Amino acid sequence: MKKSTEQLYRQRILHVQVHIQKNLDGNLSLEALARRSYFSIYHFHRIFKAVVGESLQEHIRRLRLERAASHLKHTDESITNIAFDAGYQTHEAFTRAFKTVFGCSPSYFRNRISTSQEITAQDRSGKQTRQENDNLFTGDGPMKVETKNIESMHVAFVRHVGPYNDVGEAWDRLCTHLGKEGCLGSGSQFIGICYDDPEVTPPEKVRYDACITVDEDFIPAGDIAIQTIAGGEYAVTTHFGPYEKLGQTYSRLFGEWLLTSGRELRSQPCLEFYLNDPDGTEPEDLITDICLPLRSKN
Amino acid sequence: MHKTKAEKIDLYKLHKDQYVAPKRPQLVDIETAEYLAISGRGEPGGEEFVAKVGALYGTAYTIKMTRKFTGEQDYGICKLQCQWWFDDERQDFSSAPKEHWNWKLLIRTPDFVRDNELAEAAKKLLEKGKEPEVQQVGLESLTEGLCVQMLHVGPYDQEHETISKMVAFAEQQGLEFCERHHEIYLSDPRRVPPERLKTILRHPVRKKSR
Repeated sequence: MKKSTEQLYRQRILHVQVHIQKNLDGNLSLEALARRSYFSIYHFHRIFKAVVGESLQEHIRRLRLERAASHLKHTDESITNIAFDAGYQTHEAFTRAFKTVFGCSPSYFRNRISTSQEITAQDRSGKQTRQENDNLFTGDGPMKVETKNIESMHVAFVRHVGPYNDVGEAWDRLCTHLGKEGCLGSGSQFIGICYDDPEVTPPEKVRYDACITVDEDFIPAGDIAIQTIAGGEYAVTTHFGPYEKLGQTYSRLFGEWLLTSGRELRSQPCLEFYLNDPDGTEPEDLITDICLPLRSKN
Repeated sequence: MHKTKAEKIDLYKLHKDQYVAPKRPQLVDIETAEYLAISGRGEPGGEEFVAKVGALYGTAYTIKMTRKFTGEQDYGICKLQCQWWFDDERQDFSSAPKEHWNWKLLIRTPDFVRDNELAEAAKKLLEKGKEPEVQQVGLESLTEGLCVQMLHVGPYDQEHETISKMVAFAEQQGLEFCERHHEIYLSDPRRVPPERLKTILRHPVRKKSR
């Protein structure tokens, strides 16, 4: 049963991978690919990474560069044209990207190939596997994941658009407003709604809602708005440590747990519950619950 | 909203020497400090205890955020502390039933916080339907003076081993415990496994009477 779910996930991602290979010059937007995979837009990129071992963007970039390498090797096309075909506006940008993958410049690569010193793909694949392992399987022991029913929650929130590192300002505004009104108490829950993956969405477009639970009669004011967070079944794991490392726990949750869970995700964003105050807590002592919305079993 | 340019105050960092916590007992001179405080009696984690922790935190955050909103000096909310004692001095944690444990929950607070801010905070919290216990939260100044202090790592119910070490250490120095046992909770018991909980244990001492 579990095995077949993992296979199903892999099949659906493979379907997308084949499409990417065939359409390296086409529309490879996140939305279009998510639709093709029948995964929710909120979760597609993370499932992709869990299955493939690299992010969607890295994957597409690598395929384009590999195609470029093949063109360098087998054609007399100018490097500028090859760069352009790979989606790079300038020779310099292409050279930089090429170097990070192949460890040498495109012109060196072409000359070396012509003197028949093949650059082995092994080095690269070896490096990649290590990276994958670093990303997905760090941390001690198997991951603890619980499935929980979370009641729907009425929250006051401030929308943040921009890099995750700057969400502090939204929290500041929200906490100050609620605090001075006497709305912060022991029952207050601090929740982040994460609509985008910083590995996929450009930092300046990342959307995030800083939320605190409030009573039904809370009156919104200024940029403090209200919304209801959907209840339902969630897979929950606890992340210990700095917020900067939340991404690693997400990767493990998708890579280690979801693929073998036999579960599918609901088309709703992931939630983060912040269980202690980042103010006055050392980053390594921070505690965050990450919640993936699950589709009901039937 | 105004923002102060002044650095946010972190009382624990500011008074680092008061919160040193090696894994063996040490003598520390604890200077006077201000706290938000609320007292109670009974089992830790019981109904009264939980309500009063809530009232204390609610008050602390309301005062802080109100000050922040009006652009006054910002500061971080300190971690929870608690004093413990027994009506009968001969009793201790192992002999007294939990319903006889007296406690005073504390959150260290900058000395510029005033009584009227406290009253205002309680009023707002009551209006919003929070714990009525907010009315019992007070401002208190404690001077503990010379103390034995040590870090306890592990479940709360295994503190007796650490406390015995502290008692033995005090005795070696010709000192004895007096006043109230004091704990500073560095870890969050909701998620940190009991064996990894870190707590500073502090006990005031005086010259041993012969």
